[in-house]
Amino acid sequence: MVDLLEPFFFALFALGIIGAGASVVLLRQITAQALLMALSFACMAGMFLLLGAETIALFQVLIYVGAITILILFGVMFTKQNDRGYGLFFQKQTPLAAGLALLVALPVVILAFSFKDATTPSPKGGDLIPLAGSLFTDFAFPFEVASVLLLAALVGAIVLVKRDEE
Amino acid sequence: MPLGAFIAVSAVLFFLGAAGVLVRRNAVVILMCVELMLNASNLALVAFSRRSGQLGAGNPLDQRGSVFVVFVFVVAAAEVAVGLAIILAAYRNRPTVNVDEIHELKG
Repeated sequence: MVDLLEPFFFALFALGIIGAGASVVLLRQITAQALLMALSFACMAGMFLLLGAETIALFQVLIYVGAITILILFGVMFTKQNDRGYGLFFQKQTPLAAGLALLVALPVVILAFSFKDATTPSPKGGDLIPLAGSLFTDFAFPFEVASVLLLAALVGAIVLVKRDEE
Repeated sequence: MPLGAFIAVSAVLFFLGAAGVLVRRNAVVILMCVELMLNASNLALVAFSRRSGQLGAGNPLDQRGSVFVVFVFVVAAAEVAVGLAIILAAYRNRPTVNVDEIHELKG
């Protein structure tokens, strides 16, 4: 019974991730696309749970499903969207791009199944404590650099969208 | 589930995002597809960190893959904020989000 449960949830999440991701690429309704992207991110959080990375799944829901989706929806609503598929006369790259992506993707997917597994015991009490220990000791300097990057991005975004009022 | 299944899902999602970036012309949709690609790389990082025997991942205290994913989260948040700001600034100059019509470097 337990053996069937994990493949079932894996198939569910994989279907959600790939189906919603394909709809983001193929659909023409931009608000539906943004919400389907959120669904793909939520299914990815489930995938992280299956892998035993609970803290990453929590961050995924908070940052991707929460913050990034809301930002994208703001971007959708601040701009005028015309759904008309517009292309210059020589731009017929859709079948070519799809074929090229498939050509590269197939060997990678086949290669993916050649990796060997190592069974890892899941850490006691979740992964939050070892993750925090690693993040704040070995990776303390990159952590500080990341906070500076976030501050720079915040200031840069405000400066870019500020109107010139003179 | 075997490691290969997770990596296969990650590869499929990554190439879906790549095809979207190449094919779509709406700047906001391109930004969404970049986010899908970043998320696919997150799945690969976590899967290798948890299931591969080669990265020293047999030790449950080894969280380097998860630390990398946290940094990818930071970069993705910064990227989407600055990317949307650029799209809005370009939209103010010329009211379109079609990347084919935004082809001049003049303000």
